[in-house]
Amino acid sequence: MMLSFVQWLQSTSFFTALRGSAYAYPVVLSLHMLGIAFFGGMILMTDMRLLGLAMRKKSISEVINQFRVPKRWGLLLTATCGLLMFGSKAEEYYYNAFFRTKLILFGLLILHALVFRSIYADPTSLDHFPTAPTHAKLAAALSLVLWIAVACCGRGIGYIEPPLDKIRAEIHGTNYALVARSAITILEKGLPRCCFCKLTP
Amino acid sequence: MFIANPLDSSELVFPVLECFHIVGFAISIGTIAIVDFSLLGLAVTRESPAQLARDTWLWTLGGLVLMLFSGLLLFSSDPDEYLLNRAFLIKMIFFVAAVIFHYTIHRHALETEGTTGSRKAIACVSLILWAGVIFGGIFIGFVYPGLGTRF
Repeated sequence: MMLSFVQWLQSTSFFTALRGSAYAYPVVLSLHMLGIAFFGGMILMTDMRLLGLAMRKKSISEVINQFRVPKRWGLLLTATCGLLMFGSKAEEYYYNAFFRTKLILFGLLILHALVFRSIYADPTSLDHFPTAPTHAKLAAALSLVLWIAVACCGRGIGYIEPPLDKIRAEIHGTNYALVARSAITILEKGLPRCCFCKLTP
Repeated sequence: MFIANPLDSSELVFPVLECFHIVGFAISIGTIAIVDFSLLGLAVTRESPAQLARDTWLWTLGGLVLMLFSGLLLFSSDPDEYLLNRAFLIKMIFFVAAVIFHYTIHRHALETEGTTGSRKAIACVSLILWAGVIFGGIFIGFVYPGLGTRF
């Protein structure tokens, strides 16, 4: 079901055109990184303020409130570019272990947002404390760990190129062992040459 | 020249360094961008840009050091290839310009009360220079020396 969806998605004329363009992919990837560069600092500053490691002269609620809206723009830019890249190579991404890990991490981040909703949505109650209470510090530390893990998995995606033809040929029995083996082989053999251009065989 | 680069000892070193590089630029460029958005009046307007810069300068410097050291190690894995890579050279021009701009004109603009227009222009130049660094960095992987863009 999922597989036929990703195959359909990348076969749409929009994503076929995107995949075929020489410049689109690196430009979208650059914009994705730009989103991280321009707005990642706001996540960092928010969490570091909760941990008491930055902007201590400002109250917690001031820091969290002033970064809330721009952080959303950043998420919008980064997520849009990420979805464009996913769509253009959806079938490859589907098999990519780092991409799958990244999706799990996104799930955990949504969970994080739900569990610690009160801290980020209504931080004024935290201003009464001289330093943030433990659960707020835990939220900040988890947020930082999850976002850094997301960035690292994102970088990892480019290092795996699942051999689609091979997989497609054997997929009728959905041979997951083969999928895993191919991914490992690519990871082992592909890495040294990946340094400059992952497309150099 | 016959010293073995410890970077070649494991295939994992390069991608791990890349992750440090990404975190480094997210910290450094991220904190600079906060100040620039504030200068532009687009975001974080409750605090003066000068105050924001005082709050974040140490993080900016720390991020730059992390980015620079991981970047130098990445570069050392194959200097010849990098020096022939047009995207890398463009990235370096943007990077040097961005760092010099940040610690001269950009800093000066925060310390003095310039006109709103000039402050906005300085924020724009800063953001464009750093964006150039990011684009250059991504295109390194997509460009062969002298051959233009290819997949």
